[in-house]
Amino acid sequence: MPEEIRRLSDDLARDPSSLVFMRLADALRRAGQLDVALRVAVRGLDRHPYLPDAHDVLARIHADRGDLERASDEWEMALRLDPSHAQANLGLGFVEFRRGDLESAERRLSTVPPAEQTPGVAAALAHVRSALGARPGNGAAVVVPNGSPPAEPVRTSPRSTPLVPEFPPPDPSRTKQLFDSALDGSDQHALLVDADGLVLAGAYTDGSGNDIADVIAAELAGVSSEAERAMRHLGLGAWASLLVEADEAIVAMTPAPNGSVLVVTASRRTPVGLVRLLLDRALGRARDWLVRVS
Amino acid sequence: MTKTPYAELLAMLSRHRGVVGSFVVSERDGLAVDSNVQIGVQAEAVAALAASLHRKARLACGAAGCGIVTFLRLDAEKGGICAAGRDDLVLVTISEARANIGLLRVEMMRAAKALT
Repeated sequence: MPEEIRRLSDDLARDPSSLVFMRLADALRRAGQLDVALRVAVRGLDRHPYLPDAHDVLARIHADRGDLERASDEWEMALRLDPSHAQANLGLGFVEFRRGDLESAERRLSTVPPAEQTPGVAAALAHVRSALGARPGNGAAVVVPNGSPPAEPVRTSPRSTPLVPEFPPPDPSRTKQLFDSALDGSDQHALLVDADGLVLAGAYTDGSGNDIADVIAAELAGVSSEAERAMRHLGLGAWASLLVEADEAIVAMTPAPNGSVLVVTASRRTPVGLVRLLLDRALGRARDWLVRVS
Repeated sequence: MTKTPYAELLAMLSRHRGVVGSFVVSERDGLAVDSNVQIGVQAEAVAALAASLHRKARLACGAAGCGIVTFLRLDAEKGGICAAGRDDLVLVTISEARANIGLLRVEMMRAAKALT
């Protein structure tokens, strides 16, 4: 394994735009080097944001780190790019299974066409169906495919219970981390702010670790309304983005759905072009999240 | 008409591809100190809007601890506004979508240092 990682690292160093980052990130994940794997995958996705396999690799890394929420987000992204992505369906099925949502897991895994069902998918599907069949009576804990116990107790409602929504409602306590996987470092922040200057999601801490998201949201909301006014007067069409470079940081803003505004800030060390890229990535997450919320 | 110290600077910026106007604006009152614009551009309105936008961005960045604003770019469907400030004076360009913003940014940040 170390030899494979070394070889793939060399390949990536020779050609940073190569798609070999996916194999390297996955090899690192399998070797247990999850932090390095995460960095490799995120940087690769910066260059290739529309590769479903890359989102699948990143999802696996998040899953191995125990962050099923982000893993779920990445698998959902993979499915948006390729609705027939078997591994993403398998991954989401796994997440739903871990959450005790056996019906959704079974439905998800069943979408993989038989011709494309790997032994892993077939085994997972059989396991879920077995658990569904065993569930009503004995109340025993279901064992997940990797042998560890489920994160939460499995509900024992009968199968006739109406199916829960395909995606669970967002957890308010996780909204502060909504953009973490879209950003590329601890010196970057993202906030989703509503039309009244109130924080919807994201976080912003100052150098001392104090949460100043509310202050930033209120101040920057005025900037976005000014931008809108300026473009309307000048007849240049709807505003698309506002980029402000300051001594200590770069601030980028863009309009988001429902009259909200997305704000991304990064330290001056961050290349200006990268900030715009981060803004686009964060906007994708904001749109998805708003759809789920509403 | 008296030629201001900014005339050459504004002429140079207005020669960039896609730039339809350039201004030196007082951020405090939004009045144009000097301008070089194509026919049809409402210089006074642009000056006032750009000054207001720069002021809001400066105050917001100050509140956020981001430091002093050095450059601002507002993008829209058909073009945008760039602004680079120094003290009360702000250098502003209005451009079409075909403008080379990277080059314009470098020139404006360099020129802004000469604003007095």
